[in-house]
Amino acid sequence: MNNTLSIEVGSQIIMLLAALMLVIQLLLVVQQMLLTNVRLFALQSLMLSAIATVVAYYYNATHIYIVAVLTLVGKVIFLPWLLNRIVRRINIVQEIEPLFSAPTSMLICGGLTLLSYLVARPFTTLHKLGNNTLAIAIALLLTGFFLMINRRKAITQVLALLTIENGVMLAAVALTTYGMPLVVELGIFFDVMVAVMVLGILVYRIRETFASMDTGKLDQLKG
Amino acid sequence: MDFSLTTIDPTSLLLLAMLGYVIGSVSGLVFCRWERLANFLSFGFATMGGACGTVACVLSLATGASSAPVQVLLLPPLIPYVQFTMRMDALGSFFGLIVSLLGFALSLYSLGYARGFFGRKNVGVLGLFFNLLILATTLVVMADNAFFFLMAWEVMALTAYCLVSFEHEKPETRSAGVLFFVMSHIGTGCIMLGFLLLFQTAGKVSGNYGPETYSFAGFHALTENANWLASGSRNAAFLLFLIGFGIKAGIVPLHTWLPAAHPVAPSNVSAFMSGVLIKMGIYGMTRVFFDFLGNPPMWWGVTVLTIGTVSAVLGVLYALMQHDLKRLLAYHSIENIGIILMGFGASLMFLHHDDLHASHPLLASLALIAGLYHTINHAVFKGLLFLGAGAVLHATHTRDMEHMGGLAKRMPQTAFCFLIGAVAISALPPLNGFVSEWLTYQSLLQGFGTTDSLLRLMFPIGGALLALTSALAAACFVKAFGITFLAQPRSEAAAKAHEASPTMLMGQGVLVAACVFLGLCPTLFLKVLDPLTQQLTGLQISQQLTTANGLVLSGVNQAGGTVSTLGIALFGIGLLSIPLGLWLVFGLKTKTRIAPTWDCGLQGLTPRMEYTATGFSKPIRMIFKALFRPRREVQRDYDFSPYFTTTLRFEAHVEEIFETRIYRPLNRWVLWASRRMRALQAGSLQAYLIYIFITLLLLLIFAL
Amino acid sequence: MNLDVLSIGLQTALLLLLAPLITGCIRNWKAKLQNRRGPRVWQPYFDLIKFLRKDMVISEHASWVFSAAPYIVFITALLVGLMVPMVTVQAPLSLFGGVLAVVGLLALGRFFMALGGLDPASTFGGMGSSREMTIAAIAEPALMLAIFTVAITVGSTDFSHIVATAQQPGWNLFNPAHLMAFAALFVVLLAETGRIPIDNPSTHLELTMIHEAMLLEYSGRYLALMEWGASIKQLVLMTILVNIFLPTGLAADWSATSLGLGMAVFLGKILLLSAAVVLVETANAKLRLFRVPDLLSAAFVLAAMALLSTFLFH
Repeated sequence: MNNTLSIEVGSQIIMLLAALMLVIQLLLVVQQMLLTNVRLFALQSLMLSAIATVVAYYYNATHIYIVAVLTLVGKVIFLPWLLNRIVRRINIVQEIEPLFSAPTSMLICGGLTLLSYLVARPFTTLHKLGNNTLAIAIALLLTGFFLMINRRKAITQVLALLTIENGVMLAAVALTTYGMPLVVELGIFFDVMVAVMVLGILVYRIRETFASMDTGKLDQLKG
Repeated sequence: MDFSLTTIDPTSLLLLAMLGYVIGSVSGLVFCRWERLANFLSFGFATMGGACGTVACVLSLATGASSAPVQVLLLPPLIPYVQFTMRMDALGSFFGLIVSLLGFALSLYSLGYARGFFGRKNVGVLGLFFNLLILATTLVVMADNAFFFLMAWEVMALTAYCLVSFEHEKPETRSAGVLFFVMSHIGTGCIMLGFLLLFQTAGKVSGNYGPETYSFAGFHALTENANWLASGSRNAAFLLFLIGFGIKAGIVPLHTWLPAAHPVAPSNVSAFMSGVLIKMGIYGMTRVFFDFLGNPPMWWGVTVLTIGTVSAVLGVLYALMQHDLKRLLAYHSIENIGIILMGFGASLMFLHHDDLHASHPLLASLALIAGLYHTINHAVFKGLLFLGAGAVLHATHTRDMEHMGGLAKRMPQTAFCFLIGAVAISALPPLNGFVSEWLTYQSLLQGFGTTDSLLRLMFPIGGALLALTSALAAACFVKAFGITFLAQPRSEAAAKAHEASPTMLMGQGVLVAACVFLGLCPTLFLKVLDPLTQQLTGLQISQQLTTANGLVLSGVNQAGGTVSTLGIALFGIGLLSIPLGLWLVFGLKTKTRIAPTWDCGLQGLTPRMEYTATGFSKPIRMIFKALFRPRREVQRDYDFSPYFTTTLRFEAHVEEIFETRIYRPLNRWVLWASRRMRALQAGSLQAYLIYIFITLLLLLIFAL
Repeated sequence: MNLDVLSIGLQTALLLLLAPLITGCIRNWKAKLQNRRGPRVWQPYFDLIKFLRKDMVISEHASWVFSAAPYIVFITALLVGLMVPMVTVQAPLSLFGGVLAVVGLLALGRFFMALGGLDPASTFGGMGSSREMTIAAIAEPALMLAIFTVAITVGSTDFSHIVATAQQPGWNLFNPAHLMAFAALFVVLLAETGRIPIDNPSTHLELTMIHEAMLLEYSGRYLALMEWGASIKQLVLMTILVNIFLPTGLAADWSATSLGLGMAVFLGKILLLSAAVVLVETANAKLRLFRVPDLLSAAFVLAAMALLSTFLFH
């Protein structure tokens, strides 16, 4: 392991960035402007790539550097640009009223965070660089799922899926020894890319058929 | 203490006080045809009794006589197995102090207040029951065995019912009285069951079932018994006593009788009920949880803390929605009981010890002191607020805040007393509410470090909810004081209001002095609580809580945080020199003009343009609408255009979820079940004979 | 009991003289960001002197509570300022109260200000009182929880003690718990001082006012005391924020160099925080009244997460 900067500093930086990722996730839950949501997601992915960089620095593992660069290019630059284009083309800039009001959804997210801390407690004794981040990863997963349930616009649900994927990536990068094999990382990455592009096309279709992005209207597609 | 004081025996002084109450009640009954004489005699003796009782209890606590209490036989043992013994131990003396102090102030107040009933109702009867109530309450706290306790408890409940139903010509009063009666007896039933459990266990342990078995000393001895500590019936006893005393104290969800009964009683009785009667529930809980039940499991403390927090938050939220002044104060009583129980719950959690965890007696004493200090604080400032509300009711003949206003100019002394009470109850420095809440916060904060489990999260969350409660209480009292006393009068009656009579003001003055004393000199009062914690947790901690020659209150150690209300008050007065200096330098030549309030160019502001109580609390109603489910109906009449309405009718409702979701369905179910059971009453002789025969057969089979 | 008269006098003077400057700076910088010239930075001083010199008009419906409120607001603000460490680690009145006394005294000032708004029987005053008490009530849990988080890690509610512990090397500024508590307290600062996005301090429309509405009927020296008190309260809350989370440069002794250094660093930190406030105010619009609880409950959850992080993040 590369030790020019002490391991504590690295651990603290990772902790700080992971906590900021969680805070951004909470902001995503309450924020209603779609463009801001896309930017918040970009910021979150930026932090994820920073975490990957720090882990790569300490373990001197080039393939994690590659993961960081891929995250940067794909999730910080390309995907937000794509989503931005979709939002502008559809010309819908604001989310409709969510299922739960803002204070209630904040409280639910707080409860989900607590739950994920409880679940992750047995793992915090591992001596790894980012062992505290498992709780944050699970929290990102749970709150991303909740975001998907809470919102009705398809774009936001796509964003929620992407944040879930951020959480999984965080767990993979920070917790596994030397990161996951590069092939697996690349596979997940391209999988997500394709999923987003398909969803982007579907969103156009939904818009054209129902003149709205409200996925609640999909229930008309019954037999 | 000079020589003469130490030779006064507190117990005899208290007996003198009780004699005073007896004479007062008898004279009220005997002279009931001569109103003024009955008023003067009955309430005069009650005042004297209250004064003697206060001195007796203070002496008992201060001189340490309470550590070695003397048993007094009140009446000869006429009935076998029943003993009428009382003793003034530390816990009894403390609550006796609350009863007597409030009895004194309220009786003084009643001398003037009862004049409002001359010609309408029988003041002698009021005096009779009032004296009996104070007497019964004193006996409840001083009783030495379970049987006498229950007797005094029942007399207390019955006289309270008679007093609540004093103005029984109003239907609202009658239904409130019946609700109070029913709930009180459900509570008494639970308490009786609890005592029976204790009696049974004590009898099994000691082998005999005589009168010593149900004495409180006998119950206290149970705490050393290992079998009792391991048994499940201890948990059953805890729950029974929690429910029984909780109904009396008014915890959520058992509180529905409180906001019904307290407003309809005469104001001196409401003050006594809110100030003292619900504290009897607290007395019972303290006696049982800390004295009889021994080492508490963790879940007891957690339950009490949770119930306390929920009661505090819900109590204040519902209080904000009231515009009946006395109902608002009744809901605040629920809130303050919640705060007291938060302190008790924390204390129970700290007292818990088992093989893995040690107990924290220092913190437990701190939390217990916080709860008990808040008990006496609440008694004092709630009594004061009800007395003020009574004076306002006396002057304006309405309880509805929406018809009051401008009373600060017409009743200045009452307004000042009410303001002191409002500042105290909102936990604002430097008065007493702030001190007890400070102690509660300190115990919650220090409690965080006591355990490693996730339960320790309860302490900061409880602290945050306590902060929410006191901030909402401050909002509520801005509304209560502002709408009632400030601005313009909203009705004829309010415009013609007159100041209260001198005895009413003196009664309020006593409580104002008590508030100020308890607020500015907490370290002096803490010495009085020493014998109490000695008895209940085994520690005396007032020395630890005092620094700097007794001027500053500190948490368990000085580094943990200190506060000095006296210092704040004195320094604040000293800082007045700055505005004074500024005035001298800049403003000597300025004049002050009295002019109408800015009216935006209209022809002057009318009382209809002032803010109303309902309007004041609207933001909170909207924010918490998931709890309140407010409904409103607006009906407009207009001549030629809807923009120029001629009449407007507005109705707003707030749902009381406990009544609609819990009590009404329960009510309906009970009535349904009773209707079904009516089928048993077939009317035929054969059927009844068959019932008796079947019961006999079953008993015989069971005995086999 | 060592109440150093000199330290009390100096800190009082600092509070009185610095508070209007901060208000003036915030107004001036906000204007500059909006491409206007804006009022001079010293304008609040001239305003205060002007108010002190003017005659007073008191409403005919008002009672003595109206006249008492300005004094109480002013004095509670000063008392609170004396309990908080500004330039030195040891605050002059730290023995008389800590965190809880500060919150309580600010609540006392707010109580009387609200009563003073209701007293003249003006509808706008009542509206301001109602909204102010509601917002304060919703902000309290977030404030308490954030401060409890800090107090729990230190083990004390005494500000000087908290700051002294924060200066030790084991304290980590970039601990996520502290950052989140700082963010929650920043939102509460905006709520308590009546800044956008919760209240607009420079609005002229009465229906959008919260703090200003309670001051509408005050004039002359009463208005001077109220405005000055509000500025001092703002300075004190900002001081709490910077000195707890960034306690560098606080003087530990009474030598001239450490005092001078402490003063300079303190000024720098306060001006930096004022710049942050100005940025937030300019970049956001005022929220509707019923959207304010959303913001404050977000601050509460942030503070709760800060609390969770203290013991789950070692």
